Amino acid sequence: MTPSHPAASVLPSDALRQALLADREQALTRLYRRAFPAVRRHICRHGGTAPDAQDVFHDALVVFYEQAVGEKLVLTSSASTYLVGIARNLWHHEQRRRARLPHEALPDDLNELAEDSAAAEPAFAVLDYVARLGEKCRSILLAFYYFQQPLTQIAEAHGYRSVRSATVQKFKCLERLRESVRAVFSSETVDY
Amino acid sequence: MRPELERLHLIEQQLLQGPAALPSSSWRLRQLLDGELAADTLAQQRLYHGLRLAGRQQLRHELRLIHARLYEGRFAWLRRLWPG
Repeated sequence: MTPSHPAASVLPSDALRQALLADREQALTRLYRRAFPAVRRHICRHGGTAPDAQDVFHDALVVFYEQAVGEKLVLTSSASTYLVGIARNLWHHEQRRRARLPHEALPDDLNELAEDSAAAEPAFAVLDYVARLGEKCRSILLAFYYFQQPLTQIAEAHGYRSVRSATVQKFKCLERLRESVRAVFSSETVDY
Repeated sequence: MRPELERLHLIEQQLLQGPAALPSSSWRLRQLLDGELAADTLAQQRLYHGLRLAGRQQLRHELRLIHARLYEGRFAWLRRLWPG
């Protein structure tokens, strides 16, 4: 390996990932400010409305966030250009969908359409139970499993003195969630 | 950790391909020896799917707040021009 200056060796997608993990609100606000006007302009010029633009842009940001923190994002242009590209693509799909099904409204979550419906059904049941968890458990589980924050950050944000304590608490929360949804799962059979 | 939590950890390593994940042959062997492991693994996988959906809901909520801050209200245009 060749030695290099740390700042120079950081790839844009890595820097973006770090920014999203360190201060999600700030990083998303910056992206929002840069990319949303172009998305709104594009969608309003191509048959959509301002609320359509907002919905599609949020879908694009969800896709973008998951790619970025999941280390699946390879940026060949600026983050905002890439984000506008995702949104334009989603709007193109939405226009085709509307042409096929003109009387159906925009779905709440375009990503959920991509989920396998059979696999998604129990997941939607879990959703209700996640909402019923206490605020602390809900926050820890989402921080780790969705927002992919490191346990050091989760421990600090939730007042745990060590990563070990935060880890144990995370599993206790997961256990609580599992127990509360057990009835949903136990009614189903498992194929071996 | 309690054995129940250790079991969650074991399954998590396997599902999320963590550093302590077992080779697939060892995992299959465990499933043969432990009749409830397959069902527990499926249940845990569904928890993760549910958490992903919940995470997306949370993210969309945060995005709506950002949108409202930037584009709604009397001083939204100021916040767009002068962040922070």
